Amino acid sequence: MTHPTTDDTDRPLLAATGLRKNYGATPALDGATLHVRAGEIVAVMGSSGSGKSTLLHCLAGIVQPDAGEVRYRGRTLSTMSDAERSALRRTDFGFVFQFGQLVPELTCLENVALPLRLSGVRRREAEQRAARWLARLEVSDVAGKRPGEVSGGQGQRVAVARALVTTPRVVFADEPTGALDSLNGEQVMRLLTEAARSTGAAVVLVTHEPRVAAYADREVVVRDGRTREILLAER
Amino acid sequence: MTGRQPRLGWVADLTLGARLVFAGGRNGLLRTLLIAVGVGLGVAMLLTSASIPTMLAMRQERTAARDDLFFEAAPPPGDRTLLVATTDTAYRGHSIRGRLVQPEGAHPPVPPGLTRLPGPGEMVVSPALARLLDSPDGALLRPRLAHPVVGTISAEGLAGPSEYAYYLGTDQLRPELGARRIDHFGSEPVGRGLDPVLTLLVTISFVALLLPVAVFVAAAVRFGGEARDRRLAALRLVGADAATTRRVAAGEALVGAALGLLVGAVLFLVGRRLVEYVSLEGISVFAGDVRPSPVLTVLIALAVPAVAVMVAQVALRRIVVEPLGVIRRAGGRRRRLWWRLALPVVGAALLAPLDGRAANATGTASQVQVITGTVFLLTGVAALLPWLVEAVVRRLRGGGVPWQLAIRRLQLDTESAARMVGGIAVAVAGGIALQMFFANVQHNYVLATGHDVDRAQAVVTLEGQNLAGTDLDALTARFRDIAGVERVVTTLVTGVTAADATPDDDGLRPLTRLRIGDCAALREFAVLDRCADGDVFQTVPSEESGSEESGSEESGPDSPDTAGEDVARPGQRMEIVGAGPAPGVAWTVPDRLRVVPYRPDPSGAQSTAVLATPGALDLGRLRALDAEMFLALDPTRPDTIELVRNAAAEFGPLGQVMALHAAVEADRFTQIRRGLFLGVVATLLLLGASMLVSVLEQLRERRRVLAVLVAFGTRRATLGWSVLWQTAVPVLLGQVLAVALGTALGAILLAIVDEPAHLDWPSVAGMSGLAAAVVVLVTAASLPTLWRLLRPDGLRTE
Repeated sequence: MTHPTTDDTDRPLLAATGLRKNYGATPALDGATLHVRAGEIVAVMGSSGSGKSTLLHCLAGIVQPDAGEVRYRGRTLSTMSDAERSALRRTDFGFVFQFGQLVPELTCLENVALPLRLSGVRRREAEQRAARWLARLEVSDVAGKRPGEVSGGQGQRVAVARALVTTPRVVFADEPTGALDSLNGEQVMRLLTEAARSTGAAVVLVTHEPRVAAYADREVVVRDGRTREILLAER
Repeated sequence: MTGRQPRLGWVADLTLGARLVFAGGRNGLLRTLLIAVGVGLGVAMLLTSASIPTMLAMRQERTAARDDLFFEAAPPPGDRTLLVATTDTAYRGHSIRGRLVQPEGAHPPVPPGLTRLPGPGEMVVSPALARLLDSPDGALLRPRLAHPVVGTISAEGLAGPSEYAYYLGTDQLRPELGARRIDHFGSEPVGRGLDPVLTLLVTISFVALLLPVAVFVAAAVRFGGEARDRRLAALRLVGADAATTRRVAAGEALVGAALGLLVGAVLFLVGRRLVEYVSLEGISVFAGDVRPSPVLTVLIALAVPAVAVMVAQVALRRIVVEPLGVIRRAGGRRRRLWWRLALPVVGAALLAPLDGRAANATGTASQVQVITGTVFLLTGVAALLPWLVEAVVRRLRGGGVPWQLAIRRLQLDTESAARMVGGIAVAVAGGIALQMFFANVQHNYVLATGHDVDRAQAVVTLEGQNLAGTDLDALTARFRDIAGVERVVTTLVTGVTAADATPDDDGLRPLTRLRIGDCAALREFAVLDRCADGDVFQTVPSEESGSEESGSEESGPDSPDTAGEDVARPGQRMEIVGAGPAPGVAWTVPDRLRVVPYRPDPSGAQSTAVLATPGALDLGRLRALDAEMFLALDPTRPDTIELVRNAAAEFGPLGQVMALHAAVEADRFTQIRRGLFLGVVATLLLLGASMLVSVLEQLRERRRVLAVLVAFGTRRATLGWSVLWQTAVPVLLGQVLAVALGTALGAILLAIVDEPAHLDWPSVAGMSGLAAAVVVLVTAASLPTLWRLLRPDGLRTE
């Protein structure tokens, strides 16, 4: 289940350098740089509109930067075709968003099994693995329910299970606790980081809450589209 | 919400609802726009339908005003009389109304649409004909109408803007040669009554075509329903009671409906301006004729908001508000079947008593019964569809990811899907019923012409006074040389009368048709076992000829007269009558006259006649004989008939060319069929457009989920298939319902007119195919939007 090797930890798994991205006349990224090593948890912090979500989307190959490059395991994402990037997101990446963004018509179990099924895993096996992850995240009781029928905290844990079910090398979490109260937020973060560490997955955690960022190994601040590493002493 | 003046409270709630329509920024405005466009499309369609009575009346009024064919006795020639001859023709399947006009005095009547009559050789044409003659498409028509155009016929003189019509001035007309003398144009427009079967057909057609529009309008007011539900739920959370929420919803619905009415009116007015550029099945309409009946307009203006409010109220029943403000559909409660099933049952119960009473079914009371019954039956399709979709998809399991996504979506929300295809299903059900009805009563309205299209496909008749002589070979050669003419049978036709025949009270002597042609040509009109130039035959009905098989019987001077007084006898002195004032030519029937059974000619005509080969008479002495030619045409060259018409026109404008057809439909039946075709096209266009709006609206509602799925690496094809399945499953179920209830309605309608019911599978397949084509087209048209929404940067909304 675990990905990193000794060699892996020595060089960045995911490296973004000099990323620039504009939305119309509005600059979102202005030379952002970030390296993520295998198995590490990196918190990307910043105020609203600072460009942290855009940075995450660029890192995940969801959005193409206007300039700069993102390399994943030595391959430049921008040179990959859309199909290759999609395949990468299916197999190597996992995602957690602020509102979970579960598919409302599928049950929680089916939601978790979905990434596996998209990767070609047979239904029965996919659902068995999904059920194990639901149990691990302590939400087995909602397996047969639809997202609209569960609480926000439960939904977010289901989303975490969905992000981890494919044992990705990187989990991108965009404000995963943003819609939760502090208790639920803590619980989700604990489960996410524990699960990620147990599988060796790196986590890129976008948040504006220091309390959430505290779960990370290191922090990067995004301000006006530029990144700045926070040294341990500053934390 | 308490303690307010009740009346003010109502107004405030409605106003709040109205304000909420425009709340929500860009998305809110887009939703409102969708509703306005959706409802507007339906309203435009309804207004167009409400204009049909005016369109028909105006068209009838104008065609009656230019009428020149009267049953009363012709007036005596005078200063105010005009000679008119009909020279209608056709060009590539389009009819061209033609009239030759020749004033007999200084003050002749002028037809509507003209300021003056054209002089001899001058032509006044309709604008459409002028355009055609000026265009490359009209190249083959120009030789036929090669006259200087001195004016155009204005709208008052035309049935529609695309009508091809002309008036050609002449000085060659004579009443004795077929021209009519008139002293006025126009007759009272007479509304010809329809027989009970056709009345029923028209009634049902209107119901079947307009009901889907109503279903669609009801669906359109629910565009953006999820966002509206959230807004209303938020209101309830802040303390609005159920009644207040309903009033707010009513306010929202009313604004949507009002905007829809506005957009509908604009679409109608724009469409009205464009209507003159459209011609379907030879029917075109002037923009000025498209005027909705005031009563129907008021009804539409009232019904649309009423439907909108009603639908909004019904939809509210499915909203549940939880303390956290989460909207959850009342998914646990299954749809009830009983009242949905009751609709078609009540419809059938209303129609069943009319069984076999078509003649009585056209009274006002019975018509209401027919309309109500049909409405109930067809509404049953729309009502049963959500239940059926829910019942079926609840049981569906398994399948690939696209299938699972689609089925789960349908399980979660059958309403949207059913709403989207409800109109199509109702239209298909009505279409199947009508097609079934058409197919089963068609035999009463399709008349066999008796034309033998295996022998000839066109008949040409040339007026005698325009023929230079009686050279059969030259005449035949002129038409045989036309590319695509495979065979020409030419005969000259005139009348022959006994020299000693006694004139009747009007001074007219009994005439027998004399047909002159070579043996090959004469064999088209009689059964001849042998024939040589110089032979003469008297045709009689086969039973009178003695032997149909042998086909002939020698009739010498002494032989008995076998076929009555109108049959020529050998040696009899006759007079051959030419056309018009040409003097008769004396002729003695040769001794070689034989009596033979006649044979129907390719146009199906058969009559007693004298058939003569050219050697049997002195052709050079004869003048002004009409020519009749039967032509076999190459079916692969459709323009041959146009070349034939042009050749015929070289012999004068009164020459006629008729295409032969094995069967023709009764006029009114054809008109209704055309009307239904136009209606089906219009309804399907509307439903297709509306379905597209609906699909786009649903996709837009799901853009965040779609973006997340793409972020996971979901393939586009997976989501594309999922959208297709999500549309196809309800459409398929809708088709099942439509076939069942449409067939039932068709059978009941046929029972009313006392016709046996047979399921017309080609119609079922055709209608289902049309519906499927609409779905495929709509899905294809929505794909670009889907691909756009599938761009992962849709996550930016997060």
